[in-house]
Amino acid sequence: MATCKECTYFFPVPENADDFESGKGDCVTEKEDAKGKYWLSKPTTNTSSPCPSYKLCSNKI
Amino acid sequence: MTTVAGSIKYRGNVIEFPLENPQENDVADEMLHENLARPTTERTKRLKARCRWKHASAGEFIDSEVRAGIERMRFITEAHKASEGQPEVIRRALGLANILNKSTLVLQQDEFIIGYHAEDPEMFPLYPELSYMAVQDYLMSDYSPQPKEEADAINQYWKRFSMQSKGERYFSKEDLTRMYQVSTMEAPGFATGYNSITPPYETILEDGLLKRIEMAKTKIEHAQKEMENIPWNATEGLEWISKIDVWKAMVIADEAVINWARRHARLAKIVAEHFESDPARREELLEISDISHRVPAEPCKGLKDAFQAKWYTYLLCHAIDRYASGYAHKEDELLEPYYNISVKEKSFQPMTHKDAVEMVEMERLKISEHGAGKSRAYREIFPGSNDLFILTVGGTKPGYVDACSDMTDAILEGARNIRTTEPSIVFRWHPTGRIQTKRLVFECIRDGLGYPSIKHDVIGTEQMKYYSQFSKNKNGATADEAHYWALVLCMSPGVCGRRKTQKTRSEGGGSIFPAKMMEITLADGFDWSYSAMQLGPHTGDPTQFKTFDQVWEAFRTQYKYAVSTVIRAKDVCRYFEGKFLQMPFVSSIDDGAMELGIDAVELSEQPNGWHNPITTIVAANSLVAIKKLIYDEQKYTMQQLVTALRANWEGYEAMRLDFLNAPKWGNDDEYADNIIKDFYEDIIGGEMSKITNYSGGPVKPVGQAVGLYMEVGSRTGPTPDGRFGGDAGDDGGISPYMGTDKKGPTAVLRSVAKVQKNQKANLLNQRLSVPIMRSVHGFDIWKSYMDAWEQLNIDHVQFNVVSTAEMRAAQKEPEKHQDLIVRVSGFSARFVDIPTFGQNTIIARNEQTFGAEDLEYLNTQL
Repeated sequence: MATCKECTYFFPVPENADDFESGKGDCVTEKEDAKGKYWLSKPTTNTSSPCPSYKLCSNKI
Repeated sequence: MTTVAGSIKYRGNVIEFPLENPQENDVADEMLHENLARPTTERTKRLKARCRWKHASAGEFIDSEVRAGIERMRFITEAHKASEGQPEVIRRALGLANILNKSTLVLQQDEFIIGYHAEDPEMFPLYPELSYMAVQDYLMSDYSPQPKEEADAINQYWKRFSMQSKGERYFSKEDLTRMYQVSTMEAPGFATGYNSITPPYETILEDGLLKRIEMAKTKIEHAQKEMENIPWNATEGLEWISKIDVWKAMVIADEAVINWARRHARLAKIVAEHFESDPARREELLEISDISHRVPAEPCKGLKDAFQAKWYTYLLCHAIDRYASGYAHKEDELLEPYYNISVKEKSFQPMTHKDAVEMVEMERLKISEHGAGKSRAYREIFPGSNDLFILTVGGTKPGYVDACSDMTDAILEGARNIRTTEPSIVFRWHPTGRIQTKRLVFECIRDGLGYPSIKHDVIGTEQMKYYSQFSKNKNGATADEAHYWALVLCMSPGVCGRRKTQKTRSEGGGSIFPAKMMEITLADGFDWSYSAMQLGPHTGDPTQFKTFDQVWEAFRTQYKYAVSTVIRAKDVCRYFEGKFLQMPFVSSIDDGAMELGIDAVELSEQPNGWHNPITTIVAANSLVAIKKLIYDEQKYTMQQLVTALRANWEGYEAMRLDFLNAPKWGNDDEYADNIIKDFYEDIIGGEMSKITNYSGGPVKPVGQAVGLYMEVGSRTGPTPDGRFGGDAGDDGGISPYMGTDKKGPTAVLRSVAKVQKNQKANLLNQRLSVPIMRSVHGFDIWKSYMDAWEQLNIDHVQFNVVSTAEMRAAQKEPEKHQDLIVRVSGFSARFVDIPTFGQNTIIARNEQTFGAEDLEYLNTQL
């Protein structure tokens, strides 16, 4: 079963970060509307179920 | 074609008024404002073009994309439930930490100063712990947070914990119902959640949070040792308990803030490395990442650091920890050391002055995108804008030394160039202020921004010293600290700095409405025109008043009741804020709270009590007309007046014209001004000053208006000044009623200067001639006006410089006038975003021109 860990938009929290926890990551997605591009970052874990933005890592930019 | 002012004869010479910029001869009056913006860089031009404004008009957001987010209310509720049983101040810290740790972060294209307060740049957060009524208002609207069911459940959860539930218990149903009418009194803060604060930005920029955490930890360690003293002394030892909790809460809050900023740093780095294709922007994103990793954890080292640390602090104090209106800080002095490092010394984050101006423009656009989760009532009173955002520049340092700097100039240049309605600017005027800065102040005003508004530097500084004497812990502002002040909201000075600043609106803010009080004075306290209820005390049948003094004293009774009730409501709110709405982050950056271990909401070192009378001039002009026509000339009786008013003057037009044509404020008329001076000093200020508030000092009037002169005017029946029921009130604390100042600009100054006693501040709205201000003599005339204003010891003045032709054109084709800005009252607004009712009140203001007599009075050198 797919998890956030395999998603293009999952970025593990570095070990030296204040909020580091094993498996914790940032879900960073790009959005665009009539006023331009913006990026959102949500805390997540590598075992979380995929969300609608899920994209396999092989497609990573 | 542009209108050019006609020539005048002055001191034996014919003075012509050619435009200072001859190219403007080709710009039509109707399109002037659309030709004045000149963003400093292509980046700020793009940012302005795509700015996510969150203006409201008639209480509705103009952009259909704007809506409330759910994250903040979700995370604070989650933390509140999970922390049951812990000390309240710790619960507040854990609530903030949960929001910061779990919230979605936003980074937008092109921006350099990053950070937002909701999960999407079109959203704003809500505060169920402040006011469930305000959240309910959103749940019933198109802007409701989603999922709505979850939001509704959260709001129901908070109802029993809310400030409103706590505060209402100490007021009679009668008093509460009267306040909720918002016609003689503003609704209490425990119900509205409306708030204001002056954050101690200085500690963040100078110390950084890591140092503040160490300070708190040292305090905890010391306190714990003190508690272990043998023999145990409960009278001293028990006091440490609450202090330890306060310091612990500070540590929790500050660690969460550092982590939140560093999450932003990670986001910028991830976008640089995985999403951005432009090498230059990639490099910039890495710089942004570096900055957010260092600040606010560490002290700021350059101007970019300072802007970013200031922005994070703003978001925390005004939008994330709790809602607060305003943008109170002395921005030029706060940033000047970092400007010097980056622009003059170029030793860290080296940049040019133009780069600094670009930073200012970017900050202005961040504010312009900032959404506030205010209830509909509070959106209605700031039409054409987002919220009240006002920063302060200019003024003096200790010894009345000029505080203007190149940073002051950068702030003014950025404002002039980018042309945004927010944030508004206040310039503290002092004779020592350097001329190049005053010239920039003029250019902003001349270009129609409506700001800077001008405050009298000496009045404000001496006021800080005056309030200091009432300090409960004998640690009010020193003579030197008294010079470091900014406006807390649009009109009232408050100290800035590392401690002693205002932390909550209970100290100052909130409104009362003398026009409506005048109306009910003439109806034994009964509101016959709006709510059909007894709105104030019984003050007798007005038709039986035999003397003018009886009218005067009946009004005084209404006023005394209202002002005591609203300030009691503020102080009751403050009492509960100190127990349930502590602000550990703010406490951690306040030197007083850190030293004493007292939460910043509870601690008061510098009293600064004020309240806002709005629509005073309608009441004052009414008293003048009553005295003249009924008691002096005996042309009419009180019975006739009451009858005519109850008919909204219908069938009594000749009588109405008599009352309308009675002497009015703002014409240097001795008859009117003597009565009105007494009214301000004896009743409005005199009665308010008798009150002692939470901080132990007197409460003084700050006459202003915001958009409430429209809203409350619509709830106020006909008044004896000849005004029809429902018409707008007067548009500023001491401003003449629109269109009634007919003797020129200097007559207005002479009237206003007569009111001096028992006032804290009074807003003066003036509209100046566009052709004169844009002429080659514009600056000289305005400067001489300002010098006279200063010498007359007048507290405040703000200007509209916009033609009727352009406003009328904008009413016809609003889409062509997106850059037309006007001064409403205490804030500037996009004209086309103001409802027509409000637009017409601005058009109706008298456009002051300057004749030879005015110039002679001002001793203008041409």
